[in-house]
Amino acid sequence: MLLKLAWRNTWRNKRRSIITLAAIVFATVMAIAMRGIQLGTYTLNIRSVVELFSGYLQIQDKRFLDNPSLASSFVVDKNITGALKTTKGALAYAPRIYADGLISFKDNSRGVAIFGVEPEREKDVTTFIKNINSGRFFISDSSNQIVVGEQLLKNLDANIGDEIVLLAQCYDGTLGNQKYKVVGTVKLGVQELESSVIFMGLKSAQSLLSMGSRVSVVAVKTNGLTHLAEINRSLSAKIENANLNVLSWNKINPELEQAIQLDNVSGILFLGILIVIVAFGILNTVLMSVVERFREFGVVLAIGMPQLSLTYLVYIETFIITVIGLIVGNILGCIANYYLIVYPITFGGEIKKLYEIYHFLPQLKSTLNPSIFISVSFLILIISVLSCLYPAYKVYKLEALKGIRHT
Amino acid sequence: MEIVKTENLVKIYQDNGVPVEALKMINLSVSKGEYVVIAGPSGSGKTTLLNLLGALDKPTKGKIYFEGEDITLKEKSDLAKIRLHKLGFIFQAYNLIPVLSAIENIEFSMMLLGIPEKERKEKALSLMDELGIKELADKRPNEMSGGQQQRVAVTRAIVNNPSLVLADEPTANLDSVTAGHLLDLMERMNAEKNITFIFSSHDRQVIDRAKRLIILKDGLIES
Ligand SMILES: Nc1ncnc2c1ncn2[C@@H]1O[C@H](COP(=O)(O)OP(=O)(O)O)[C@@H](O)[C@H]1O
Ligand SMILES: [Mg+2]
Repeated sequence: MLLKLAWRNTWRNKRRSIITLAAIVFATVMAIAMRGIQLGTYTLNIRSVVELFSGYLQIQDKRFLDNPSLASSFVVDKNITGALKTTKGALAYAPRIYADGLISFKDNSRGVAIFGVEPEREKDVTTFIKNINSGRFFISDSSNQIVVGEQLLKNLDANIGDEIVLLAQCYDGTLGNQKYKVVGTVKLGVQELESSVIFMGLKSAQSLLSMGSRVSVVAVKTNGLTHLAEINRSLSAKIENANLNVLSWNKINPELEQAIQLDNVSGILFLGILIVIVAFGILNTVLMSVVERFREFGVVLAIGMPQLSLTYLVYIETFIITVIGLIVGNILGCIANYYLIVYPITFGGEIKKLYEIYHFLPQLKSTLNPSIFISVSFLILIISVLSCLYPAYKVYKLEALKGIRHT
Repeated sequence: MEIVKTENLVKIYQDNGVPVEALKMINLSVSKGEYVVIAGPSGSGKTTLLNLLGALDKPTKGKIYFEGEDITLKEKSDLAKIRLHKLGFIFQAYNLIPVLSAIENIEFSMMLLGIPEKERKEKALSLMDELGIKELADKRPNEMSGGQQQRVAVTRAIVNNPSLVLADEPTANLDSVTAGHLLDLMERMNAEKNITFIFSSHDRQVIDRAKRLIILKDGLIES
């Protein structure tokens, strides 16, 4: 009966209830859409950055993160390949060498980051191989062929087909040097990278650097971000070499994680402002509806309704509006997010440049991740309960006689 | 049996710091089955007295005994329990909950006692039938006349079989014919069910029909 009473009271002042409802719906949709865009775009960016080069996971020597030198290299043995093949969710892997060197062409020299890769494996793990700008990628094991960052080639004043010389410190501490033919240029979207990278075959790199069969890292592609932690755990458990670590994308790309956290904080701040506005809206309407009914409340208190039940009634009324608002808001939010998944917003011009500085794609995409809907709904529910506290307290303290006299 | 008794009852209001002596020294005793009208001009303290008798307010001095128990110093929630279990109230107007129908309003006070829904419905309906207002069952207060609303209020006040029904000028907003019907109803309940009534009025008709008349003047019982 209390529920029936609350339900009817809710629709007594239709206009006010609808305004309150609209505010809750608006806040819910805004919050869901906004968080959807944020989280969706993060996922998009993480995936694009991770799939471009780093991989979702990497197997590294424990010292490599702090000291990425050849001394932190390791041999990919049967145990590791076996672990990679048997771990569910680990789709492909690619061993690599990371080294520093000096590139010379005629009178020009530049410091470079040397990446030794296996194209056949990389194409299953990462996308940078597709970013060949001109020329082609080298064919695996074809020694003495290299692909160069587009900007680096310009800086060296060289062209595709030219022969350059690479100088690097080897695994054993001696200096290695070798002549290579430039067969293509690669575009990575980021200037500083493009002016300092070269790619060569894994075997070529191993022979240049006298590394035998050692590698610097093994990049791993997984079936996405959702189960990454689990896959990481199960892969780690299978690797017997205690010197090795399995790192997830956020450890490999700490800048990306930081940028996301920064943006996330701004998003949460905005959410906070939205919530405060809604809270005051609810407080205001509930307080009005309560004060208006002091006479009526006085009568029911006089006939013996317990103060707590009356307070409870006011709570149910707010709860009804909030829940309806949340249902409608979640449905609309779902539609909005779905729309932005199917039709993501793509930026051009200045915004695009700004985004690229942060290695982000100039695109906004959403997500239907249920955690957004749950957390937003929960948040708004809590807010409505909190903003109802003061009106409820007034009702709790109301004296029957004060109510009856109240006009 | 004595239902309610007051001892040297005094009520002093503070009106913006100015003390107002609404009741000066009331000694009164009402027994089971009585039908008492408190009369007196406006401002004589009728409402104040009824509020004290109805455990809605606390006296400044003196004592109130309800069924022999001193209720003067009881907690707010205990007074609410006494009101719920032992008392029925009829106010001048706005007695009913606007969003509930007549029968739901009557059921409401039974709900507060935790009576199950089926029993509530049956009891409300049979009492409405008895009082001749069965056809009002599904009407909302705004669909009823003032007299009809007051009859529903009477029904609600007596449905839990209270020891005492208090009514503050229940006929004040009614024309004399309607008021007469309401009085008929209360007299009948008094006679048939032996329900004790105390109500206030300054209406001639009501005063003429009183079985026991208490006249208040300036906070004192005149006769
Ligand atoms: N809450 C209050 N605060 C101050 N004075 C009051 C209050 N209620 C009643 N009074 C005063 O007490 C006196 C008695 O009032 P009341 O009991 O309402 O009389 P009646 O019901 O007979 O008209 C009046 O002088 C009135 O102004
Ligand atoms: Mg009065």
